Amino acid sequence: MPKRVLIVDDAVFMRNMIRDIFSSGGYEVVGEAAHGIEAIEKYRTLKPDLTTMDIVMPYKSGIEATREIVRGDPKAVVVICSALGQESLVMEAIEAGAADFIVKPFRAEDVLAVVKKVLGETPKV
Amino acid sequence: MSRYLGLFVAEASEHLEALGKDLVSLEGTPSAETVDSLFRHAHSVKGMSASMGLEPIAQLAHRVEDLVDVARRVPGALGRDRVDLLLATTDTMLALVRGTGEGNAPAPQPELLGKLSEAVVALTGQQPRPTKVARVDPLTPGTAAPISARRFEVRLRILPSAQSPGPRAFLVYKKLTGLGTVTNLRPPLEDLRAGSIPDGRVALVLETDGGLEPVQTALALVPEVELVSAEPMVEAPAGPPAAAPVPAEAARTVRVRTELLDDFLEMAGELLLATARLRDIGRHFPEHGRPVLEEGVDRLHALVKDLHGKVMGARMTPVAVVTDQLPRAARDLARKRGKEVEVMVTGAEIEIDRAILDAIAEPLLHVLRNAVDHGIESSEARVSVGKPPRGRLGISVRRTRERVVIELEDDGRGMDAEKLRASAIARGKLSPEAAARLSTREALLLACLPGVSTATDVDDVSGRGVGMDAVKRSVESLGGALELDSQPGRGTRVTLRLPLTVAVVQLLLVRAGGEVLGLPITKVLGAVEVPDGALQRSPSVNLLTYGVQLVPAHDLARLLELPSGPTPRTRPWVVMESEDGTVALGVEALLGQEEAVLKALSRPLDRVPGLAGVTILGNGRPVFILDVPRLLV
Repeated sequence: MPKRVLIVDDAVFMRNMIRDIFSSGGYEVVGEAAHGIEAIEKYRTLKPDLTTMDIVMPYKSGIEATREIVRGDPKAVVVICSALGQESLVMEAIEAGAADFIVKPFRAEDVLAVVKKVLGETPKV
Repeated sequence: MSRYLGLFVAEASEHLEALGKDLVSLEGTPSAETVDSLFRHAHSVKGMSASMGLEPIAQLAHRVEDLVDVARRVPGALGRDRVDLLLATTDTMLALVRGTGEGNAPAPQPELLGKLSEAVVALTGQQPRPTKVARVDPLTPGTAAPISARRFEVRLRILPSAQSPGPRAFLVYKKLTGLGTVTNLRPPLEDLRAGSIPDGRVALVLETDGGLEPVQTALALVPEVELVSAEPMVEAPAGPPAAAPVPAEAARTVRVRTELLDDFLEMAGELLLATARLRDIGRHFPEHGRPVLEEGVDRLHALVKDLHGKVMGARMTPVAVVTDQLPRAARDLARKRGKEVEVMVTGAEIEIDRAILDAIAEPLLHVLRNAVDHGIESSEARVSVGKPPRGRLGISVRRTRERVVIELEDDGRGMDAEKLRASAIARGKLSPEAAARLSTREALLLACLPGVSTATDVDDVSGRGVGMDAVKRSVESLGGALELDSQPGRGTRVTLRLPLTVAVVQLLLVRAGGEVLGLPITKVLGAVEVPDGALQRSPSVNLLTYGVQLVPAHDLARLLELPSGPTPRTRPWVVMESEDGTVALGVEALLGQEEAVLKALSRPLDRVPGLAGVTILGNGRPVFILDVPRLLV
C-alpha cells in the first residue's frame, strides 16, 4: 500500500509541483491545505503517513501548525519545506517537532530520497 | 578537521601520559587492571589518530595494542626491555601528537613498528595483523556496547551534499537529545546552528540507558548524515590508588583553556576591587541615601565574593597532574644511572591552584632528580649496607587547613649536615661561629645556597639546571616554605609547604616615608609599639626585644630609600619572617588589613628588588606589596 501524503503550502503552484514529485515516487497524495489552520484540521481527519509543511503561510505558520500536529500525534511525520536563508526558521520548526526538512528549489530525487529515509524506507546499511 | 586538532592533541596526550604511567607501574606491580588500562589507552589513541587521518600515530598505537593484547594472555610477557620499547613508543607517539599540534605531519616510524612486530612475533610466533588503520571501522550494530555502558562517544558527519548543514546538524542533535543527555558537543551548539561545522564532523557524548540501538535507528532515519562511530566510553581510572569508580557526575566536565581560567580570576579580582571602590565612594554620600546604597553594595560584595570563590574552585587542579610524571622520570633517571628505584605516590588527588601547580612542576622534578642521583645508592651499595636493592622514593601529598604539603622522601644515603657546614664555611658563605650556631635542619638548608651542595659531580642528571637554591626560591615566591630533614645513611625528606591559592593575599597596610605599603600577612609574626630608646644599638644593626628574642630592627623608609621625617619617640614595629630569620620593620603607622588581589609587576618595575607585586585598594590607589626577604639582601 502506498504511503499517504498531505501537502501544506499557500501557493497552488508549489502544491502542484510537490504533488507531481510524490506521485512520480509512488506515493498517494490524500489531501492539500493552504494554511496552518487547514493543515491541522486535515491532519486530524486524514491521518497521513507524511505531511509536507511550508513555513510562511497566512492565518497560522507552518511552525505553529507543526507544533500542534505533533502535540496531538507525537508520531506525526512532518517534513518542512524551506528555502535557503530560512535556516533559523527550520530550526524553530525542528524544535516544534518537525521530523525533517527539504530545501527549495526542489529536485524530485532529493525530495524523494529524504522522504524515503525519514519514513524508514531506505534499507539500513 | 583543524578545529578538532587542539582537542585531539589534548586528549591523545592525556591518554599517552596515562599509558606511560601504566607502563611504569606495570614494572613495579603488574596487575590485570593495569594491562586493561594500557590497552584502553592505546586503543583510544588509535581510534582518535585514525579519525584524524594520522596514520603513523595510529599504526604505532595499533602495534602497542597488539603487544599489550599478547600480554593479557601471556603472563610475564612485558619484561623490562619490552616496557622500555613500549615507553619509547609512547614517547614517540607523544612527540608526534604534539608535533601535529604545531602543524607538523607525523612521520612514519618503520623502525619502531618493526621492533614492536618482532616483540609480538617472539611472543606468539605469529605475524601481527596488518597495520593499515587510518580508516574508521564500520560500525557493527549491537555488538559494540556492553549492556552496562551508559555513555557513548558518537561521531557523525554531515555529508557535503547537505544544503543546510546547520539545520541538518541541529536535527541530529535534537534527535539525540530525545534519547538521552548530550554533552561535550563539538562544535558547540552555537556553531552547529550557524552551520559552522568543519568538514561536517560532529562529535558528542551521549548518556543514555537505552544502549546504542535506538541511536542507530534514529540516525538511520536522518538523511545527509553518516554515523562515523559510536563507542561506549571507558572512564579513565582515577590516579593511584585507583579504587573507587568515577561517579557519573564527576565525568560531566568540559575542557576549558587554562588562560580562560586566568582571565576569569583576573576579572573576578577586578570585580572585588570595583566593589570595594564603590563602597568607598558610598562613604561620601549624603546620610539619607547611604543605607540603600550600602545595602546594595553589601549584596554585590557577597555575590562577587561568591563568584571569586567559585572561580578559585574551578582553578583547583589535582596534584596528580604533576606527580603522575614523577614515577616515569625517576625510573628513566635510575636506569641511566644503573640504579633501581620504586616510586610511591599518595594523595595525588588533592587539589591546588593550577598556577601553583605550574610553578612547582619543575622544582619537584629537580628534587626528585636529586633524590635519584645523589640520594639513592646503587643496588650493590645498598645491599652492602643491608638495604633492599631497590631504592624507595615516597611522594606524599596532604592537605592541612590552609596549605598543601608535598613530601618527597627517599631511603638513600642522606645528607651530611657537617659536610654542608664545612662547605659553606670554605666557600665563605658563613663564618665558623655562625655555622656552629645552626641547628641540623638549618644546616641542611645550606644545600640551598648557590654552590654549597656537597655533590661533587656535575652531570646531566641534576648537576645542572635549577639547583636547590632555585627550588627554595620558587617555593618561597609562591608564599610557601621548604624544609629539609635528613639522616646520614637513612635518607632525606624534602617538604614543600604550599598555599592553596596564590592570587589573593592578606595585606597589612603600613605607612612608611609617607607612602602606603603592603606587607604579606602570612609573613607577619606580630606588631609592637616601642619607644625608640628601647632599641638596643649595636654598631652594625639595632636590635628590638620581641618576646624572648632579639630581632634586627630596620627602618622601613630608610630601607626603601624614602624620605623619612624625624624619628618619633614611639612608633610601631612589624615583626616579620624573612630568609635570615626574624626581622622588625619600623613604620610610621599601621593602617589596617586588606584582602588584595596580587597583580604581577611588569617591566621595568619587576626589576626593582624588594617589590613582590602591586594591588589596587578600594580607594583606587595602587599599593606596592613588599617582598621583605629580598629587601634585606
